[in-house]
Amino acid sequence: MTNTPTNSFEWVWFIAQKYSELFIRGTWITLVVSVIGTLTGFLLGYAVGMIEDVSISKDDHPVKRCILGALKAAAKVYVELFRGTPMIVQAMIVFYGLRQSGFEIDSISAGILVTLLNTGAYMSETVRAGIKSIDPGQREGALALGMSPVSAMFHIILPQAFKNIVPEMANMFLTNLKMTSVLNVIGVQELFLQAKTAGGTYYKYLESYLVIAIIYLVLCFVFSRIFTLVEKKMANKKDYVLAIEYMENTQ
Amino acid sequence: MKDTSIIRVEELGKSFGEHQVLRKIDFSVEKGECVCILGSSGSGKSTLLRCINQLETQTCGKIYFHGQELGRKQKEINTYRSKVGMVFQSFNLFNNMTVLQNCMEGTRRVLHLPKEEAHSRAITNLKSVGMAPFINAYPAQLSGGQKQRVAIARGLCMNPEVLLFDEPTSALDPEMVGDVLNVMKSLAKENLTMLIVTHEMDFARDVSSRVLFMDRGYIVEDVPPEEFFTAPKHPRAKEFLSRFIAG
Ligand SMILES: Nc1ncnc2c1ncn2[C@@H]1O[C@H](COP(=O)(O)OP(=O)(O)OP(=O)(O)O)[C@@H](O)[C@H]1O
Ligand SMILES: [Mg+2]
Repeated sequence: MTNTPTNSFEWVWFIAQKYSELFIRGTWITLVVSVIGTLTGFLLGYAVGMIEDVSISKDDHPVKRCILGALKAAAKVYVELFRGTPMIVQAMIVFYGLRQSGFEIDSISAGILVTLLNTGAYMSETVRAGIKSIDPGQREGALALGMSPVSAMFHIILPQAFKNIVPEMANMFLTNLKMTSVLNVIGVQELFLQAKTAGGTYYKYLESYLVIAIIYLVLCFVFSRIFTLVEKKMANKKDYVLAIEYMENTQ
Repeated sequence: MKDTSIIRVEELGKSFGEHQVLRKIDFSVEKGECVCILGSSGSGKSTLLRCINQLETQTCGKIYFHGQELGRKQKEINTYRSKVGMVFQSFNLFNNMTVLQNCMEGTRRVLHLPKEEAHSRAITNLKSVGMAPFINAYPAQLSGGQKQRVAIARGLCMNPEVLLFDEPTSALDPEMVGDVLNVMKSLAKENLTMLIVTHEMDFARDVSSRVLFMDRGYIVEDVPPEEFFTAPKHPRAKEFLSRFIAG
């Protein structure tokens, strides 16, 4: 850099170039934390959502009833806790809580853990609503063939619920992409923290945050396009091919 | 006396909370019979079928399958259900699967048949209901009558010993009712054991081997169709029939 920047636009460009390494690293960590955190969070959300959906029957074995009851209670507490507190507070409590109890957890792992727990709590409600939205007749149709309730859930109900939930899952990922910025409080070197560092030297905070605003925008734009494509791909085909080989004497 | 029945229901009762829907139900079904269950709305016909299929658990009483009391173990119930199929008023085809997949799901996942055999069974049964050309269609792309014929084929693929029908034609447009009834008639001719809840009086009279008439949770008539349609004994049955003849 030979010339000193004279206006904000030039400063944005200057900061972006000078600290490109920081921003690239920040982008990478933001992506890693949000992708891993979201995907594992989805798994947890499905598990918790299904546990919440199971009903305990009088005919079940007492041990099974006990375990199910405990799981359901735990699920309820977990969901309430994580939906009822801000992610930034969760980050502090999880990170320092683990450290003080002797777990040497690094900040990225803690960040992923918080994202996953947070996502799981919201996702479980989405999954539960998704399961509820499927006509009970689908389950009865499966049971009437002799499928077990678990098999009916995995092969008939969940695939249909999943399809309905995909837009909400996409939404959640985009939210997480942005929400990981709060993880700077536990020292995760994602975009926000990098911008803070980059802005510090020249005292150009506005310009530095403009840089990451653009990065967030581009990331969200790209991912939302990808999700739209995926949703289109997943829609049931509108047409079907008649199997003419079986056409003979039918109406 | 030796019990030759496929299904026998003994002293069966069902309540939803305070509401007693089935009371002291006693009857049995022999192999090859086509039993029609008639009765006015709310008399408990659907609930009875759902208890027989264990989609509802009875409050009291027993169900015997080939003389064996049906237990409460999930595994046992699954096996029993794979032999006692059910066709629903609202079809309940799997929306995420094609017609062919619908017909292979049970044979593959429950009976664990090899793919080729499941496939050929599906095609055979779809042919018999006239739906084989539609193997690639999804349920949403079919008319009600077509869906119901696929649902019957799906049930038949399991080679069930008994097939239960709950008002299979009630959700259909009048011009499609005939197609479905014809399929059921031919099943009766092949001596498939069937238990059919229906409001199709002509079908009950011409095809069934026995009529059960239900009133307020009781079976009040259990007689051959000729007798039921010409000389009903119970006053509610008389009233019920006169409404149908008038309408
Ligand atoms: N899940 C349920 N919870 C509470 N009550 C129920 C339930 N299912 C059925 N009932 C009640 O049981 C009674 C009998 O219902 P059922 O569906 O068996 O009648 P039905 O003879 O099949 O009538 P229809 O000809 O209208 O189908 C009704 O009064 C109904 O309100
Ligand atoms: Mg009914």
